[in-house]
Amino acid sequence: MATLTAQQLVMDVPGRPAGRPLDLTIEPGQRWGILGPNGAGKTTLLHTLAGLRSPRAGQVLLDGRALPALSHRRLARQRAVVFQERQDSFPATVMETALIGRHPYLSPWQWEGREDHRRALAALEALGLTPLRDRLVSTLSGGERQRVALATALTQAPSLWLVDEPTNHLDLHHQVAVMALLAEQADRGAAVVMCLHDLNLAARWCDHLLLLYPDGELCFGPAADMLVPSALEALYGQRLAVGQVDGAPVFVPTGGLPANKE
Amino acid sequence: MLLIRLLIALSVLLSASSLWAAQRCVTDDADQHVCVPRAASRIVALSPGATELLFAAGAGDQVVGAVTFSDYPPAAKNLPRVGSYQRLDLEAIAALKPDLVVAWRSGNPQVQTRKLQSLGLPVYYSEPRHIEDIATSLERLATLAGSEQTGQATAKSFRDGMAALGARYQTALPVRVFYQVWKDPLMTVNSQHLINEVISLCGGVNVFADLPRLAPRVSREAVLEANPEAIVAGGMGEENDHWLKDWKAFPAMAAVQRGNLFFVSPSTLQRPSPRLLIGARTLCTQLETARGRR
Amino acid sequence: MADAESKRRLILLALLLLALLSLAVAVAVGSVAVSPTQLLAVLGGGGEPLHHDLILTLRGPRAMAAFATGGLLALAGALMQILLRNPLADPYVLGVSGGAAVAALLALLCGAGITLVSGSAFAGALLSTLLVFGLAHGVGGWTPTRLLLTGVVVAAGWGAMVTFMLALSPARQLPGMLYWLMGDLSYAGSPWPAWLVLVPALLLTLPLGGSLNVLARGPLQAAALGVAVRPLQWLLYGLASLLTAMAVTTAGSVGFVGLVVPHMLRLLLGNDQRLILPASVLAGGSLLTLADTVARTALAPEQLPVGVITALLGVPSFLYLLYRSR
Repeated sequence: MATLTAQQLVMDVPGRPAGRPLDLTIEPGQRWGILGPNGAGKTTLLHTLAGLRSPRAGQVLLDGRALPALSHRRLARQRAVVFQERQDSFPATVMETALIGRHPYLSPWQWEGREDHRRALAALEALGLTPLRDRLVSTLSGGERQRVALATALTQAPSLWLVDEPTNHLDLHHQVAVMALLAEQADRGAAVVMCLHDLNLAARWCDHLLLLYPDGELCFGPAADMLVPSALEALYGQRLAVGQVDGAPVFVPTGGLPANKE
Repeated sequence: MLLIRLLIALSVLLSASSLWAAQRCVTDDADQHVCVPRAASRIVALSPGATELLFAAGAGDQVVGAVTFSDYPPAAKNLPRVGSYQRLDLEAIAALKPDLVVAWRSGNPQVQTRKLQSLGLPVYYSEPRHIEDIATSLERLATLAGSEQTGQATAKSFRDGMAALGARYQTALPVRVFYQVWKDPLMTVNSQHLINEVISLCGGVNVFADLPRLAPRVSREAVLEANPEAIVAGGMGEENDHWLKDWKAFPAMAAVQRGNLFFVSPSTLQRPSPRLLIGARTLCTQLETARGRR
Repeated sequence: MADAESKRRLILLALLLLALLSLAVAVAVGSVAVSPTQLLAVLGGGGEPLHHDLILTLRGPRAMAAFATGGLLALAGALMQILLRNPLADPYVLGVSGGAAVAALLALLCGAGITLVSGSAFAGALLSTLLVFGLAHGVGGWTPTRLLLTGVVVAAGWGAMVTFMLALSPARQLPGMLYWLMGDLSYAGSPWPAWLVLVPALLLTLPLGGSLNVLARGPLQAAALGVAVRPLQWLLYGLASLLTAMAVTTAGSVGFVGLVVPHMLRLLLGNDQRLILPASVLAGGSLLTLADTVARTALAPEQLPVGVITALLGVPSFLYLLYRSR
């Protein structure tokens, strides 16, 4: 169980005025979506919440303790980050890549044991990667690599997930599978935060939303309160039509500028 | 009985003193005191020049190893090799069990010569920088090798020959000389070099004597500007006089105009050995020829 | 995974045997033949004085210097490749050998003795890495690409200075100077300083293997998995520089070992630094020891610079592995 708190947090985006400080608490079991147009700073906010980037002001706390005060290893046992971009300079297999997730649990002289392998294999199975386990990551498609990255995070067994665009490169089937997997993690008590560019995925899978505007303004709250067409039109500078499918709202961009800009 | 005792005592004394006298010491070119307990009988020479000096000092029979390119005198060609002067085969040297090693101070790697010393071998560092050094080198090496008679005789005839040349050209009119050590790059010598001393001895004036470095690189333009009266070329082999042909492209130079393009076999002038006398005689004659063409 | 563990042990054991074998060959073989019985007599404390000198004063220290240099270079290469996240990085990529050569040549030109020249080379090597690091850091903080580019440019600068000094120095001192650029164990002095650096460095890096595995996947991923990235990178940088500086000081810039050995091992054993680092030291040391044995015996009594042999051995085997690799 992990509770993530942002106190008077101002993220550090070079060349942008401070914006409004963020006071936010993310509770175990919650599924947060960060929405915003390109360049609004979704990834920067995610990295700041993960403790990978120092904020300009304020602080981030995990279970009441400021992130810099936690040891790197201890933090890494609790929160996993899935990045949008990955660098593989050296060849590595899918299995080896998933096993990397066990690093925070190993002592300096230790090698991965039976339990670590079991967890990695289970993660590969959960993401449908078992047939690819001995393939080199560099030979995989973009979508397959995205699933490998999620498998690595799953192997890490975190109680806080910070995921940048979880459905990147994924086809529809795998999009649903991955979102279901994250929802399942939340149901088991993990807190999940994800940056999303797809409004409808956010509407369908998130219970809380944070809208991030290009000027640093932001607002957040339960998904139902945030999914107001006028607010979303202002966020993206795009007129939207709203429908309903299976009880969830569906937004479709239509021609023309949003009403308040006409 | 007393007589016998006296005789024994006397012989013991004699042998002790002869043993004392057998210790041979000289000061080498690195200002080191080099001693051998008795006349060196197994000598290894670590440069072609050192080999030549040893043979000239009368110690040729005692030389048991030499480096590559040790080609003079011809007997040196058949000596067992111990690597090249810049990369010695220390094992091969040790295996020859020498009682004296004659090293080239500025040519051999210091690390390797030190190692030889650490094996307990006496090392004589040779580096003749002046004409007189060649004579004293012959004497010093002869002392270590126990061939004083030959060594001193060679040293004397070398000194006398050089002195005769000096006396003969002492008052000769100066000739401006460019001495060409190498062609590509074009290299010459400055006033610190042994060759410069020979040029002076013959009444020549080295046009690049004032350059700061021992073997400076110079441009063709600088040679044209210096306008030497004679160009003397050495080189790597003995037949490199084609180097001189290139200068004929510059007929305005005094040396070319008057045909004063000379070749001196480099082994007689560029190697610090008694053969320098031959090279010096050749050079003096060539400069005299140049004077005659004025 | 007991299987994988016994396989790792087997690999390291095999490499350890190779290392001992290479040292044994280096001591047993030379331009002078020494029979096995004579060799054993010397190792037992007896034997003829000549064989004693050959083995304990000449071959032994040189073999130890070769092994340590090879180990230093291979370890430095392995670390540098992780730091720069470039499998083709070489220990000299940051201008270390050029810095050492320039400083050594300066000392030689000033007429310094061996000890001072070695010390000067060591200082020059470290100075070069500091210079590269400072310049690459600049205003914005360094990245592998910036570091690599700065290193290449600084190395080119050293190269120009070396050429300048060689052009100005008396011709007969050239061979002695070139060894800093070429790599030659004929000039190696005492092997012990190199060992004094190699052993603690290996012991220090062994527990870092796991973190290096993570760092190889990029600094962000490493930070997310609990690695203190900046301190680790600084440690890698400092350590690789120190190792290379020590290697250059011992034997000049021996090429290929630092690039080829870790890379070959990665192709053969996979990219787990916990295995690659000790394997690199053993394989690099063995390779250079064997190469130097060839260098001093192949054309004996002519002696070859060991750099020639490492290149002649390294190039084809590397190309073959690369050609066969996935």
